[in-house]
Amino acid sequence: MNRPLRRLALAGAVVLIGAAILVAAGSAGQAKNQIARGGTLNVGWEQSFGFTDNFDPTGEYLGDAFGIMDNLLVRTLVGYNHTPGADGNKIVPDIASSWKISNGGKTYTFHLKSGIKFGPPVNRAVTSKDFVTAFERLAKPADGAEYAFYYSVIKGFDEYGKGKAKTIAGISTPNDSTIVFNLKAPAGDFLYRVSMPATGPQPAEVTKCFEGKAGQYGRDLVSTAGYMIAGMDKVDISSCSALKPASGFDGQTVMDLVRNPNYDQSTDPTRKNYPDEVKFTVDASADDIYNKIEAGQLDLATSSIPPQVLRKYATNSSLKSHFFQNSGDRTWYITMNLTQPPFDDVHVRRAMNWIMDKAALVQGWGGPTIGAVANHIVPDTLFNFKLQGFKPYKTPGDHGSVAKAKAAMKGSKYDTANNGMCSDPKCHGVLLLADTRAVDTKMLPVIEADAKKIGITFTVRTINGAYPTIQTPSKNIPIAERPGWGKDFADPVTFFSPLFDGRTIIPKGNTNYSLVGITPAQCKKLGVTGDCSPYDAKTGLGVPSVDAQLDKCEALVNTEASDARTVCYEGLDRYLSTQVVPWVPYLWSYVTRITSNNVTHYQFDQFSTTPAYSQIAVK
Amino acid sequence: MLLYIARRLVWTIVVILVVVLITFVVFFKLPNGDPALRFAGRSPTPESLALIRHRLHLDKPFYIEFGYFAKNFFLGDQNGWPGLGYSYEGSVPVMQEIKQRAPRTLCLIAGAATLWLVFGLAIGVLSAVKRRTIVDRLAMGFALFGISAPVFWLGLMALYIFWKTLHLTGGSGYVAFSQNPGAWFSHLILPWSVLALLYIAIYARLTRGSLLETLGEDYIRTARAKGLSERRVIFRHGLRASLTPIVTQFGLDVALLVGGAVITESVFNLQGLGWLAINSFLTQDLPTVLGVVLLGAAAVAIMNLLVDIAYAFLDPRVRYA
Repeated sequence: MNRPLRRLALAGAVVLIGAAILVAAGSAGQAKNQIARGGTLNVGWEQSFGFTDNFDPTGEYLGDAFGIMDNLLVRTLVGYNHTPGADGNKIVPDIASSWKISNGGKTYTFHLKSGIKFGPPVNRAVTSKDFVTAFERLAKPADGAEYAFYYSVIKGFDEYGKGKAKTIAGISTPNDSTIVFNLKAPAGDFLYRVSMPATGPQPAEVTKCFEGKAGQYGRDLVSTAGYMIAGMDKVDISSCSALKPASGFDGQTVMDLVRNPNYDQSTDPTRKNYPDEVKFTVDASADDIYNKIEAGQLDLATSSIPPQVLRKYATNSSLKSHFFQNSGDRTWYITMNLTQPPFDDVHVRRAMNWIMDKAALVQGWGGPTIGAVANHIVPDTLFNFKLQGFKPYKTPGDHGSVAKAKAAMKGSKYDTANNGMCSDPKCHGVLLLADTRAVDTKMLPVIEADAKKIGITFTVRTINGAYPTIQTPSKNIPIAERPGWGKDFADPVTFFSPLFDGRTIIPKGNTNYSLVGITPAQCKKLGVTGDCSPYDAKTGLGVPSVDAQLDKCEALVNTEASDARTVCYEGLDRYLSTQVVPWVPYLWSYVTRITSNNVTHYQFDQFSTTPAYSQIAVK
Repeated sequence: MLLYIARRLVWTIVVILVVVLITFVVFFKLPNGDPALRFAGRSPTPESLALIRHRLHLDKPFYIEFGYFAKNFFLGDQNGWPGLGYSYEGSVPVMQEIKQRAPRTLCLIAGAATLWLVFGLAIGVLSAVKRRTIVDRLAMGFALFGISAPVFWLGLMALYIFWKTLHLTGGSGYVAFSQNPGAWFSHLILPWSVLALLYIAIYARLTRGSLLETLGEDYIRTARAKGLSERRVIFRHGLRASLTPIVTQFGLDVALLVGGAVITESVFNLQGLGWLAINSFLTQDLPTVLGVVLLGAAAVAIMNLLVDIAYAFLDPRVRYA
């Protein structure tokens, strides 16, 4: 070979080698960034599953169950990205490829994707009629639905549930891939409502065997997502008598989920489904769970984190990569009964907000690692942080202010000495209902000491499991420190209607603990004593109502051009916090999770406020 | 003898029924006792609450509920005999729950009981025979430690040392014998040892005291004077006569552990009957509470009967009218 040719060959070889090196480096980089698939994700569950309807999606209302269903088993018309923050609260297509809202917000038409099948043992394509089956089960009380009230807005839903109609008139299926909902009135959060697991498609050939048997379908839940209950492929659905529970979920101690062979990943861009298996195991003790996480026998847990474990992971730099905190979209608060003295006076309620040492209350929960001090009703994440600066009762260090509290108390009928103190006899020995959790025993001394600074003293009554008492209006509890409230879905309506709508006050299981909007007729019917007269802005006495504002906000729809609905609810939060003042909100709790060394990728699901199981990878 | 056993059996059934009746009454009279609310979701309508109460059979007075329960118990229900109904919590038959949990508790008790009998008696005998020596002092010191140390602390320390640090045993949790005998043993050795430690201490002291009293009897001196070996004197004559209070204690201890080993089961995550009892009580799951109460009461009654029968073999002086 002559010299120029040799040089050319040499140059060519150098170029080729260089290119090969670059390609290899690129591949290695890509491999490093790729999240590994496979393995088993082991999740510890404290004490017991605690399912409200034994994992039957029609009636299941436990938040932790939502996380499993939404990520691993149940696809719905629309869903979420299974990510944290505002992005995780955004509605995206799931089984529906697209939808149209028409008729002034009263008609929703969904077009379904093709290629979506039920897992074993059903093994067929999902059709629009399978959604009808789900809604029919939701409508019938005997099937155990716990949030059917969200769907009463569909025409004919309630009539069908009462047995007055053979079908739900407001749901039609023109063909197998189209479903149309006709509503009685516009509902701006309807898309959120059809993201709930109970609305996911259900095969009638299986669910017919559980007609009227609430809670029994859960152990044979037929999947439409990336996983299925282990043993579902061996379940015999040839007849109801042959149908037995799948072996992978015993209802009490273990739920084992394996890959659904009928699942088509190409139809589902939001769920990554990294592990081959996800196993949930009940463990009697939180300490044991976290010991096992450290030892690598468990990867994750749904349990409360012992304070010493929390401290260790929050402060140790080598463990911080396994420590995750996200907004829980939950407010913890002290509730005041607007019909009971002295809290029937808005001056007193405002004074309570000024005097409370919220920082100390949060410290009782475990300090800043548990959450942030709450400044108003709805957690800031649900308003995309637009109300972040709204702190109507802000005091230095959130330690409360005697001066401001006394100033707020002035003008109250209970300030008989006109010195900013609650000096009327009705301010002394007020019944305060508390629970028996560790946090309650830590908060009580703070609440009592702070209230005493403005002349209010309490007779404390503690009950193990205080909710049923607080939820019974006829018990006439003036004040309680137990409540907390989390969203059902990322629309502020779930933070307002159940909590402040006077029309939804019921004799048992009531969640409008403050009795906002209660009328004298309701008081008489429910056995509520005290002042139920309508609110008088001049005196600050009586019970205010926000029903009209609720209806107004409910009818609005957010669009790309306008977030009128969110703005309306922001205004309602401001009004409630400053003019009605039913609560002393004190904590927006985080959801904290700790992972083992086996977890190579962790993600939080903002919709369910649980780990995003479909996005977590293990070695 | 047979008449005696038959009479005891009848009284046992009566005792069990009375215990169940009291539990029924307490459950219905408890404040805030509306389990229906747990399954009713947020803001339930009165109609849905009524439906849930009907499903859970809470809409009937307690004496009617008790009647149904007694009938199913004696005649069985669709899940077999005895009929204990359905758990509110998991919509599973209570018998199925108990069958799932009972092996864990029974394995725990059997292993621990074996350990505490063997070691308790051995240490007690040694301590009695070597009275006032360093052996006696060490044995009683060990007994004091066993009685004083809280079970939950012992359990956690044992897990930390033997499992987490030294990796000598399996961790918490239960592995069925049929699944893996080695893992079954490895996971149970620590709970056996921890549970047995308290009882070893008690039985050691009990054995020592009882044996010392017996060894002071005239017939023991006679036995020695006749030239019997010391081993024969102690074990054949002394220990046998000392066993009566130990057998009584043993029967009671085993029976009470059937539903009562809550701390050990919690620390070691065995989720046996004790754990089931506490959990179902806290979740107001009446059928499961009743099932476990029944089982516990039956265990105490049966163990008492067995203990009485054992007396006849241990002490021929006992006669049954």
